[in-house]
Amino acid sequence: MRSPEPHRAREAPLAPLLAKELAEIVCGRALWTMLLLVCPLIGYSFVQAVSLYGEASASAQQSPVLAASLSPLDGVLVPTFGAFYVAVTLLFPFVAIRALGQEKESGALRLLVQLPYRSSTLILAKLAAVLAAWILVSIPALSALAIWATMGGHLAASETVNLLFGHLLYGLLVGAIALFAATIADSAATSAIIALAVTIGSWVLDFTLAGHSGLAAFVAQLSLTQALRPFEQGLLSAGLVLGVTGAIAGLSALASIWLPPGVPTQTKCMRSVPCVLAILLALGLATQIRQSVDVTEDRRNSFPAADQRLLATLRLPLIIKVNLAPEDPRYADLQRNVLAKLDRAMPNVSIIVAGSHRDAASQPANDAYGEIEYSYGARSDVSRSTSPREVLPLLYALAGKQPPAPAPSDEYPGYPLVATADAALFWFVGGLPLLIAGAWWWSRRPPAKSLFTCKGAQS
Amino acid sequence: MEDLVKRYGQEAAVAHVSFSVAAGEILGIVGPNGAGKTTLLESLVGLLATEQGTVFWCGEELPPPRRKEALFYLPDGIRPYQDRFAIDVMTFFARVYKRTAAQTAATIAAVGLTPALGKRVHALSKGYNRRLLLGLGLLTPHDVLVMDEPFDGFDIRQTRTIIDVIRQEAARGRTFILAIHQLADAERACDRFLLLAGGKVRGIGTLGELRATTALANGSLEEIFLALT
Repeated sequence: MRSPEPHRAREAPLAPLLAKELAEIVCGRALWTMLLLVCPLIGYSFVQAVSLYGEASASAQQSPVLAASLSPLDGVLVPTFGAFYVAVTLLFPFVAIRALGQEKESGALRLLVQLPYRSSTLILAKLAAVLAAWILVSIPALSALAIWATMGGHLAASETVNLLFGHLLYGLLVGAIALFAATIADSAATSAIIALAVTIGSWVLDFTLAGHSGLAAFVAQLSLTQALRPFEQGLLSAGLVLGVTGAIAGLSALASIWLPPGVPTQTKCMRSVPCVLAILLALGLATQIRQSVDVTEDRRNSFPAADQRLLATLRLPLIIKVNLAPEDPRYADLQRNVLAKLDRAMPNVSIIVAGSHRDAASQPANDAYGEIEYSYGARSDVSRSTSPREVLPLLYALAGKQPPAPAPSDEYPGYPLVATADAALFWFVGGLPLLIAGAWWWSRRPPAKSLFTCKGAQS
Repeated sequence: MEDLVKRYGQEAAVAHVSFSVAAGEILGIVGPNGAGKTTLLESLVGLLATEQGTVFWCGEELPPPRRKEALFYLPDGIRPYQDRFAIDVMTFFARVYKRTAAQTAATIAAVGLTPALGKRVHALSKGYNRRLLLGLGLLTPHDVLVMDEPFDGFDIRQTRTIIDVIRQEAARGRTFILAIHQLADAERACDRFLLLAGGKVRGIGTLGELRATTALANGSLEEIFLALT
């Protein structure tokens, strides 16, 4: 017997594997069913959002101040993509699971793992197919953006791209969870239960622990829903991108460890340990990275540019002791208007939440409740305000700096649009579903076979 | 393969099995249902973790992750890529292994898959599904093809045709290890036999050697098997 001429992974072309994975996803009913379900869901959300935005715009016609508060990101984009987020959370796992579950159930996986590809290549090809599937299921949401632009609605490129990027990361994260679930489970049904337990479990975490402090707040941070919030607020956070990317990469690595059927479970467990540690390390690093970019047109996550520049020069540690319970609405105001912005603007900020709901209940007897103490260097001051108009001068006084002159160019004009999108509903419940059904039918047509049959007859 | 042991709990599905196979040979793993044939094949190709056992290739040890470099296994009872057309599945394998259109067409013609190329895999009859699997196996460039119940689903004429295809491939130097529970099919197809029962080897050799061992000068494989088990 001649010596082996190994069919090594590096020699195998990737194109047929990618084409096969994409065809497998497109062949399944899950993708098309999800697309058909997403159409009315996104359509209804979009029409409702435009209607409410139009009503608010009508009121704002007489008031420039009110008009300046109208941002399409909050009014139209986030609600429309909110419906897409629900669909991705509940339905996308079924699409992603099909990329592997079908092969597992039909026995094709035992052929696949013998092909000249590494396990990691097989999983990456499946992840690429999941990405392609996400792009397809985002078509209704993208069409809503196109309709909004056609209606004369304003789309800020940076906000829109950032939001799409956030949803892409979220979709890939859900896909990676589903792929890993499909790898460890014996059947597609079990995989779906595992994947939905994680995604829906995240919602439960988010709902039940929201507004709590301490350990509960940390656990709530682990919710998948938290991954989208900064993007919806117009922030591109380096730590979040690293954390989500690390989780996707880690889950993919785990999936490639658990894919080969001939490896004992104990060995797989041992190989998983460094992978899990690497994921935890990446998540830990991600929490330490505070750099983020405010991509919003109205700079809602930042102070005015002159303040930003001045605050960046305050190098001493700023310690903020907040005597408010995390559940207190004033804390939410302070967090949104002041603390989050300071955290982004200054190099060294520590925030201590000293209040609890017990303090809030005994507020009449506790005069200190509601006070926020700012300590910069050796000086400190106390305020009860949640507005930057009062807090920033206080900070400048502590630092011994003159407040910068306000720049008129910083004013955001707002983009009111008095319009309704009721007619667009026909697109989302009629035109687009018909196109999708047509594409489904087209994807199921028999392939040409004349090439092989003719040559076969000659040979 | 040397001293393979595979246990499920306390029960040994395959116990201390050793055998070798030469280039261009067709080795039949023969035994009744539950004899351990599939377990033996899946352990051999590295799809099943084993407690013990080593595979050597030209005297060099071949660890489980590397076995797919030399061996390709076609399992029994699978319908790969059920929603795809048979031609799509053949094309996928042909592209992975860089087969030309002429080579692919010749393989399709050899296994008689042409009439079913335009059907989805889930709609194929058992026989055509088997032809598809054999076609996939023949498209691979591996030196050893390991097949579980390759004649299951074929009538007697079809079985003979497929045996001819396998023999032609073997004549070109490719080795086949076939797990077969139909002794008559095995006798027609294989050069050498490994008789397996209860996970243990009961006999190994050509038909002549087995006849000599059992002193059944004109005994069929069935009679020999009954004598040895």
